[in-house]
Formats: sequence, structure tokens, C-alpha cells
Amino acid sequence: MGVVSKILGVALAGVGFVTLFYGMSTTDALSFLWSFMGLIIMSLGFALITGGRQAEKKPPPPTVTEIRCGSCDFKEIRDFKKGDYVLMPVEDMCPKCQSSMTIEGVYIVREEPEAKYNV
Amino acid sequence: MQLGGTNEYSWIINIAFFAFIMLFSLYGAKFQMWQWLKQIEMGLAEMKRMFVESRQTAIDTFKDYGKSEEDIAKDLDKWMDYFTIMPVDLDPAGILKRLDHLLDERRDRFQEFVADLAPESNISMNQNLENTLEVTQVLGLIYRVVRHFYILGKKTGSQIMIMQIQMQMPDLLRLAKAYYDAIGAFSEGKPIGDGIGPLIVTKFARAYGATPESYNHEISREVGYYVVESEGRTVYALRATGPGGTVGKPGFGVQRLVEKNKNKIARIITIDAALKFEGEELGRVSEGTGAAIGDPGPEKHAIEQTATENGIGIEAIVVKEDEAAAVGIMDKKILDAVPEVLERIKESILKRTKPGDSIILAGIGNTIGIGL
Repeated sequence: MGVVSKILGVALAGVGFVTLFYGMSTTDALSFLWSFMGLIIMSLGFALITGGRQAEKKPPPPTVTEIRCGSCDFKEIRDFKKGDYVLMPVEDMCPKCQSSMTIEGVYIVREEPEAKYNV
Repeated sequence: MQLGGTNEYSWIINIAFFAFIMLFSLYGAKFQMWQWLKQIEMGLAEMKRMFVESRQTAIDTFKDYGKSEEDIAKDLDKWMDYFTIMPVDLDPAGILKRLDHLLDERRDRFQEFVADLAPESNISMNQNLENTLEVTQVLGLIYRVVRHFYILGKKTGSQIMIMQIQMQMPDLLRLAKAYYDAIGAFSEGKPIGDGIGPLIVTKFARAYGATPESYNHEISREVGYYVVESEGRTVYALRATGPGGTVGKPGFGVQRLVEKNKNKIARIITIDAALKFEGEELGRVSEGTGAAIGDPGPEKHAIEQTATENGIGIEAIVVKEDEAAAVGIMDKKILDAVPEVLERIKESILKRTKPGDSIILAGIGNTIGIGL
């Protein structure tokens, strides 16, 4: 829908532009009306080009809990559960080496790339 | 008829043209004011939404701890305009002591209020509830201040007042949004970006054998420390007590540690989150001289004073964050800065202290969601 309305906007702006200049160049009795109509059509076109739906609000990224084994390199990332905190010992044992595990991080990962500026 | 030409109808165009010029030279400013007011109204509506929603989140969080929704809403609204009067600065002598006293008093009142409103909560959760309350209060304050100037500007027709709010609106909205996005972190006890200081200090202490049991509580209000041996030096790793949300009084903690270990402390290293410049990377590590602590004054003064009096070297390592990242749920990029900071601490200890020295490593920040 967004692209369609932009194409329609460009088409309308074009038609309006031609109508406006037709009205300005002709000497017939309705030239004033043609120019006026051209302006209105052009405005509608520009409104369609510039106006758009607001960017949809993205839901915040999920908070995850990173659990690590104290002895081996086992790492597990799961959804955050109420009561989790960083450096909390986890009841479950490491499935690889049966050692105790700790929550090493509770965090979010933002997906949107940071804007780059050439300065 | 041709536009721009002269004929019997061209006077209509001329009149319309002059009417347009007159209208805009006489009422142009009014049109602009009207446009600015509309923009402020839109911003205010957004601020109100954020405040109302965060108030509801606060009520929903509090109601799990023993009181009805109606009672909480009534008391919460009473608390929303709680204020603190800053000490008089015409006579600056002793102002920091007076400010510290007022901040203690304010904190006591907050704790008392939270204990009344959530009788079935524990200490750690009480701290998180305090933070939730503070965020809601900040959002309410931003909304009320902007609304005040909007109405005042409208009443007096003051162009400069309206113009100033309209121009500051994007920044105010950004600040409000940062706090609004953070309320979920506080109500659920998730770690925030500002907590990187205490987290690094704890990770450092744990790397040298510290445990939650070896943490010495209450060297100052809600602040404690681990004692660890690192590279032949004794390190006092100080931080606020978590995992409840508190910043404690680490400045006074540093001061007391120096007093307790007279002539033994060779260096104070503070670790904190610092506001990044636009264009800088989130989670960038920087270091410098001085006490990295963003309190209203007394804590920083305590560290500087004690370091100066005892001739102790003082340095800071900071992790760069923006406002939203500092008060919002900890971002992975901030967490990824931990190894680099640990490396820099080690480097500083090795380069600027001698074996046998004692060092204070102070992690400054909110300990919400960060265990001992």
C-alpha cells in the first residue's frame, strides 16, 4: 500500500503540474480554473508522496538469561524468568560435566543497526 | 484570462496577492505559534500516555505485595509530587553535609513509603519497588513541567516560552522514553546498563576467589566490599549490595575504607557507566583521572577529599552508554565490555601500584539484578 500510494502521488503531482502550466499558458476563459485545479491536484500528489504511515512500533527485544558452567565451556541462553539475576547460582547442573552453573548475564540484544555518519 | 497577464480580471489576482502578504506579515507569528502549540500538544499527549502507563505498571507491581489496587493508587498519587528542597547555597560552607543529610532523609521517606505500600515484600524487592516509584515520579514530573509551560505560554501568549518548549520537545521526549522503556526493568528486577560498575567489580573479586559469603556488608549505607589478593596486592572491591536496586553510598564507603586502612591504600580505581557522545560506540571503554561517580555531590566530594588528604592516586574506568541504555535493560554490547575493563584494571594495578600495596576498586552504579 505504501509503494502504491507513492506511485499514485507521483502520478497526481505530474498531472497537477501539467494542468497548472496548461492553465497558465492558455488564454481561454477557464484558464484560471485550470491553474487552480492543477494546484490542488499537485498538492494531493505531494501529500500522498510525503505522508505515510508512521513506522510501526517494534516490540522491545526479549530479555535473555545467559547461563554458563563454572568448569567447562557449556553455555545456555534462555528467556528471562522473574527472579533471575546476574551471578545467581542455578539449581540445574551442567549437562556436559555435572558442575554447578551460574547466570553470567541478563541482557537484551538490539537488532537495529546504529546510524552511520560520515563525520 | 492568462495568469500574470493584464486583463479585466487581473485585479482579483492582485488583491489576493496583497491580502496574502498582509495576512502573513501581520499574523505570521500567530500561525507559527499555533503550529508550535499543536506540536507541543502532541508531545504532551505522548508524555501523558507514558506517565499513565508507567503509573499503572507501578500499581500492578505493588499490588502483588499485600495491598489493594485502590489503596495503592490513592497513596501513589499522593506520593507523585513528593519533592526535595535543595539546601541554601548563599552560604556555601557545609552545603555538602546539609545536602547529604537531606538526601538521607529523602531516602528514608522513600523506604518508609514503600514499606507501607508493600508490607509483604522483602528488602531486595523493596529496593526495586523504590526504583519503580522513582521512574514513575520522573515521568510525572517531566509531564507536569512541560504542561505547566505549555499552559503558561498559552495564557500569556509568550512566544519565547512556547518556542523554547517546542525546541526542547524532541530531547524531553527522548528522556521520557528512556525512563518509560526502563520501567519494566525496574519492576521485574532486571539489570540495567548503569549496573556495569558493580558487575565488573564483582566479576573481578570472583576471579580472585571472592564469594557472596565473603562480602562484608554495610561499610556505608547499602554498600559493602570483598577483600581479595590480586598480583600481590590487597584489593578492596567495593560495591552497593544487590541484587536489589540501589546505588548506596559508595563515596562514603571509600572514605571509611581509607580511614580503616590508614596509610595503606595506594590507589582508588572507580568503575562506572558514563554518558557517551553521539557517534561513539555503545559499550566503549575509556579511562581517566578522577572519581567516576554521578551523585549530586557529597559522595564524589568524599572520594576526592579522602584521596587528596591521604595523597592517594585516583583513576576512573568507564563504559560509555547513552541515557536509554543506562536506565534500560542491560544491552549485550555493554556486557561485552566487561573483559576489556577487567584487563584495564589489572594493567592499572600492575603498572601503578607495587606488590604489598592496598587498592580500593569501587564499582559505582545501580545494583538491580546484579548478585553478590
